[in-house]
Amino acid sequence: MHELAIAVSILSIAEAKARERNGCSIQAIGIRLGEFTNIAREALEFAFEVAREGTLAHNARLEIEVVAMIVECVVCHEVNHPERTLCLICAHCGFPLKVVSGEELQVDYIELETEAERLAWKEYRYKQMC
Amino acid sequence: MSSPGAGKTTLLETTIKGLKGRFRLAVIEGDLQTDLDAQRIRALGIRSHQITTGTVCHLDARMIARALTDFPLENLDLLVIENVGNLICPASFDLGEGLRVVLCSVAEGAEKPIKYPVMFHKADIILVNKIDLAEASGVDLSGLISNVRQVNPAATIFPLSCRTKDGFSAWLDWLQSSLSARSTAALVRS
Repeated sequence: MHELAIAVSILSIAEAKARERNGCSIQAIGIRLGEFTNIAREALEFAFEVAREGTLAHNARLEIEVVAMIVECVVCHEVNHPERTLCLICAHCGFPLKVVSGEELQVDYIELETEAERLAWKEYRYKQMC
Repeated sequence: MSSPGAGKTTLLETTIKGLKGRFRLAVIEGDLQTDLDAQRIRALGIRSHQITTGTVCHLDARMIARALTDFPLENLDLLVIENVGNLICPASFDLGEGLRVVLCSVAEGAEKPIKYPVMFHKADIILVNKIDLAEASGVDLSGLISNVRQVNPAATIFPLSCRTKDGFSAWLDWLQSSLSARSTAALVRS
């Protein structure tokens, strides 16, 4: 269940950025998650729901962009998307394949609400109610 | 890194004995419970620090940062981190290491590299341990090595046995020359 430790790290990155920009709450966190990592999307989503409690992101959505695994031959430059059993040796020329993408684990973007935006929203809702 | 029982601590003990005090070493051990591994390293006169993770299946960079308060890095030639025995979780955590060594033992069967490709793909060095047990385990050593190559064509592979010392000198020579090259490079820089 290493996804919990990863969810906690994602939240601490997002909270640090939010404080830097004077955000009072985090609405969404976007991450890029490669296919060729040992991180399960469903487990990460579950861990995030648990870990976000009591943080600035307690209502935040976790938006995951899954990055496909792409490999390229270092010699003949043939590009492939490996499926099932992984083989990083080129089927054409026998040279090693380089992993071009699929190993990502990055915080891509954060959607913040500032104190001014929160007050403006509150005022707007209040006016609608009157 | 390796699965539990592949021989990480035995590899460390054999390597420490082989280096015969030529380098200044320290070891950080990771396990869920007990400090048995740290004791084994300490028994050889090498500084060691045990991290017990409780239930956590891997070490992460924060745990290492806390442990490093025990190990002033400037007095060391080599700091070894022995991760929790596990072929899955530790692969996802960057500990700031300069070199990743993955150990697999013949007795685990020939298919581990292709079943756990992320771990084997991220290794710089892959040590295939317990080659003396290949016949008794019914495992084809060359098949195991070609499975390693399949997920990591660029890794340096050393087949060896920590028990009989078969193939061990190749690993030890490689480690010693790398350490010497690093300290020479550091001298040149200063």
